[in-house]
Amino acid sequence: MELHDAAVPVIKTRGLAKRYRKVTALTDCTISVPEGRISALIGPNGAGKTTLLRVLAGLARPSRGDVAVLGGTPRQDPAFLAAIGYVAQEVPLYRRLSAGDHIAAGAHLNPRWDAESVRERLTSLDIPLGQTLGTLSGGQRAQVALSLALAKRPRLLLLDEPVAALDPLARRQFLANLADAVAAGGLTVVLSSHLVADIERICDHLILLAASRVQLCGDIETVLAEHRVLVGPRKDTTAIERTHTVVQATHTARQSTLLIRGDGPVADPAWEAADVGLEELVLGYMGQDARPASARLTTVGEDQ
Amino acid sequence: MTWLVWRQHRNQAYFAAAALAAFAVLLLITGRQLASQYQSARALCAAAHTCGNLANTLTLGSPAMSLVVTAAVVVVPCLLGVFWGGPLVARELETGTSQFAWMQSITRRRWLAVKVGWALLAAAAWAGAISALATWWSSPANALQQQNFQPSQFDIQGIVPVGYAVFAVALGITAGALLRRTLPALAITIGVFAFLRLVIGQDLRSHYLTAVTRTVSFGHLLALPKGSYWLVGQGLVGPGGKIPTTSSPGGGVSFNVSGVHINVANMPSACRVVFFQAPQKVFSCLTGRGYRGIFVSYQPASRYWAFQGIETGIFVALAAALIAVTAIVVLRRDA
Repeated sequence: MELHDAAVPVIKTRGLAKRYRKVTALTDCTISVPEGRISALIGPNGAGKTTLLRVLAGLARPSRGDVAVLGGTPRQDPAFLAAIGYVAQEVPLYRRLSAGDHIAAGAHLNPRWDAESVRERLTSLDIPLGQTLGTLSGGQRAQVALSLALAKRPRLLLLDEPVAALDPLARRQFLANLADAVAAGGLTVVLSSHLVADIERICDHLILLAASRVQLCGDIETVLAEHRVLVGPRKDTTAIERTHTVVQATHTARQSTLLIRGDGPVADPAWEAADVGLEELVLGYMGQDARPASARLTTVGEDQ
Repeated sequence: MTWLVWRQHRNQAYFAAAALAAFAVLLLITGRQLASQYQSARALCAAAHTCGNLANTLTLGSPAMSLVVTAAVVVVPCLLGVFWGGPLVARELETGTSQFAWMQSITRRRWLAVKVGWALLAAAAWAGAISALATWWSSPANALQQQNFQPSQFDIQGIVPVGYAVFAVALGITAGALLRRTLPALAITIGVFAFLRLVIGQDLRSHYLTAVTRTVSFGHLLALPKGSYWLVGQGLVGPGGKIPTTSSPGGGVSFNVSGVHINVANMPSACRVVFFQAPQKVFSCLTGRGYRGIFVSYQPASRYWAFQGIETGIFVALAAALIAVTAIVVLRRDA
């Protein structure tokens, strides 16, 4: 923990925005990811997850705002590129080349390259090294891409839906692998995923995007501790809104359920408070409309 | 990066090498036949003192073979543009593999430089080899007919095929980088390449250097230039000594005055009538209307290599401009 807190954040953005012609993919995005975290990037489809990862990797340029990755702007510089690993969602690899060819190419293109680890990993997964990738299954290709990204020995690994193509067993193995790599030190991971169960298993940090905006960013424990679910008879919520932020309110004919944020005590004894789970929290934020101020309000663990 | 370029394209390279080898064998065999046919014909005519007329009496090789060689050298640059240039960047953008390459510890600039560099070098070497073969193969015909400055021969010999190939590949690369799709890039490559080759070959080339003009008055003999000159204009010297800029005989009737073709359509209508009714009176009609004589405009044989150099330079310069555009597009645009 000391190591994490002392270090400069691996990722730090401020007011990041990305517009494509008419579409706004990302607005006013301010996040911070400390070193050594496995951060889950969560959000509904089209929330801007891929755009954020691509900006962090230096594949896309932000329209506005500042972005610092490993202490500098993402740039075309071999030393910077050597420290970043990125696997795109569609896992683009050369279909006419084999895994072995990709491993050899990586050795030519990277200063640090752990070819042995990829070979071992792929062999243990029964993925043929000599066969062209076009003949492998989507899941096998994903495994190859992820292994190649790890072989680079990056300091920051950005994974866009890395486990989407994997079967449950392979997914579990991969996540365990990833956790081991992070535990070995010097690696920070940001991975986008829809699978809350996976996130709960290995992630300790969370970035929640909805409607092109950051809704939440912080360590999962901290974020969960800041939220509570209130259940009570159906009534007006203006009183509670004075002291807390109501993230989501669900009303049935007789009962109201509120997801609230804020540390202060709830004065009204009619409400019954309970801790919130990660899935509830995620669904609560995905369901609400984006709020312009929330990016600033919800960024935690950051000394401004 | 060179390793990856080679691994990606080695099958294409093997195929190209095999095609080149087949072409070389074909040309070496038929070329030797042509050379010996020409040598023996020279020996025969020298003995009979009839070599002055050899170009009219001797048919070298088969016209079909000439057509094959011409077609091959004309088409090869376009094929290189389509198969090497078009997919080079477009295929990577299309399939997303550029994202794999760009996330290795290598800058986009270097990635592009190595890929484009090898593609252009390979195209130049390949077209150079084809052109060298075709030039050697054509040498008996060049000696016999002295037509290697004519557009049909100029385009397939010397160094211009190298310029065409480099340009075609650069064009393919650029179209692919701009459109990010392989198939439309191929169509654009073929279209633009064919258009530019036609425009430059037909309209621009004859003006690289000011043509030399010879004129004589009616009734005198015009001494035609020697060697493999390129005739770019001929006809009537107009009133006031005016040399028409476009005077090559097009369609219609033309007649021959001391080796110079004069198109009847370029004469004043009154003299045209005279020509058809009483051809022997046409010169007095023309003189009466201020026409002075006949002329030929030509590019002398000694300018052949200057023209080869200028044309190659134009295509290489265009290729360089296209590559600059590609670099801007690839380096500035989001991946």
